[in-house]
Amino acid sequence: MKFWHTIKKGKDGVLMLIADDINKYYGNKKVLSNVSFNIPEGACYGLVGLNGAGKSTLIKIIASVIHNYSGKVQLSDNSARIGYVPQEISLEESLTASDNLSFFGRLYGLRGKELEKRTDEVLEKVGLAERKKDKVKTFSGGMKRRLNIGCAIIHEPNLIIMDEPTVGIDPQSRKYIFTMIEQFKKDNCTIIYASHYMEEIERICEEAAFIDNGKFVESGSVNHLLQKYAIPTIYVKGENCLPDELRTSSSTKEKNGGYLITSNNPLAEMRKIINFCKESRGEIERLELVKPKLEDIFFSLTGSQLRD
Amino acid sequence: MYAVIMLEWKKSIQDRGLLFWTLVLPIIFTVIFISIFSSGLSGSERQQVIVSIVSGYTVMFVFFIMISMVDSFIKDCNIGMVARISSTNLKPHLYLLGKWNNYMYIVIIQIVILTLFGKIVYNIPLGQPVHILILYLFLTIMVTGLGLALAMTVRTLNMGIALTQVIALGGAVLSGLWIPVEMMPSFLQNISKFLPQYWAHQALQDAMEGTIQLGDLFITILVLLGFTILGFVIALLGYPGFLKRAKG
Repeated sequence: MKFWHTIKKGKDGVLMLIADDINKYYGNKKVLSNVSFNIPEGACYGLVGLNGAGKSTLIKIIASVIHNYSGKVQLSDNSARIGYVPQEISLEESLTASDNLSFFGRLYGLRGKELEKRTDEVLEKVGLAERKKDKVKTFSGGMKRRLNIGCAIIHEPNLIIMDEPTVGIDPQSRKYIFTMIEQFKKDNCTIIYASHYMEEIERICEEAAFIDNGKFVESGSVNHLLQKYAIPTIYVKGENCLPDELRTSSSTKEKNGGYLITSNNPLAEMRKIINFCKESRGEIERLELVKPKLEDIFFSLTGSQLRD
Repeated sequence: MYAVIMLEWKKSIQDRGLLFWTLVLPIIFTVIFISIFSSGLSGSERQQVIVSIVSGYTVMFVFFIMISMVDSFIKDCNIGMVARISSTNLKPHLYLLGKWNNYMYIVIIQIVILTLFGKIVYNIPLGQPVHILILYLFLTIMVTGLGLALAMTVRTLNMGIALTQVIALGGAVLSGLWIPVEMMPSFLQNISKFLPQYWAHQALQDAMEGTIQLGDLFITILVLLGFTILGFVIALLGYPGFLKRAKG
């Protein structure tokens, strides 16, 4: 099924990227199927999917790493500079942070004083200025991830493509990377962010697409997706606090000693619970509306479970 | 391409394994074998043995660059460096040329140091220096060409090490780098003529002694060139497959 998703244009009505009907095979296996989407300039676009869903292949196609595919990827601006952050930590570990940045700077055509200046600026941005002369092999996982991003922004790209940039790092480094991404957004960079950490997509992306088995199953603004698919849920915990009709309902599930109740009218259900407790002298320990999550929507749309 | 050469060079000069294979081990071998085989000899006989060993081990150990080449390409493939470089402005053939270029320099430096060691410590003759230089240059291009071929075709470092050992050590034994060819059985002597090590070794010995004829030099260069072309053809045929593996 071809899925053409049209989203509103960027701040100045400009699209940064148009992908039309992308198909990709590895041998006989189809890994991307009729993928089409637009990304407005300045947007942060999330690609959500399990491992093996086709995110990295799509990212590599957009980043010009893979060329043998059918379909069209078009950048609206011919002078667009792409910065690609691969999932792997693609750094020379025996060399210093500065050497690695200089290498990629040279590949992007920077030379001399300009290269030195950009190297120092990027080291500052990724929080490694004081470690510029240290070999990468002495860095923590989080520092390597930050440098991995640094190498992709050395040439000041206006389209940054990030493939699982926070895999396997500590919360501090993850937070630092989010701060960096917020800064990229302020600098009006367009960002494509692939991850299977859905809370990250929810946190940093305005637009998102769910990809499963090489197909876009849904896409749109994150808020729109949440509004469209999230089923209101309440959580209640306490003693003798649930009427029998709710306790035995198929929309009620036990969780952490309490109950999760999905309902189209959560306030009415809450009222019902409170009234029941008053009448039966039950005790409510906790009663709250559960904030809908992108992850729940993903599960309900794809029927999949996260593998890691 | 300059960026790739610079990066590879920086990596290479910090690579202790490379230092061991290219300089430390050949010098140890040279010293040990010269002390064993030249003891009790004097005059021209002793010099002949020394020239044979210095040139022989130089020829043998330049082949070990193939291990470093395989290692470097496989690492680039595994850590996603090739894929990442593909997203930059660098053309794929310039990546290959840049890597190859660096290993050319390393082999040239290796040969110069081993020859200088022979000259300074054992006073080996350098009778026809221009001919020696030409032979070294073709030897360098050939061995790095074969290194590229190996790097593009093997999937693992272990496979690369194993095949390098077969090519370097097997070739050395069969080509008379360890035992003079004249002392080997005749069928082995015939086999040796199909190996580049034999031609390079014989020509180098003659050039050091100052007795190589232009015809012999030309034939040796042709043989080395033949293996160079073979190496590059295999490398170029294997390169698309390597890129495909590297890009995932």
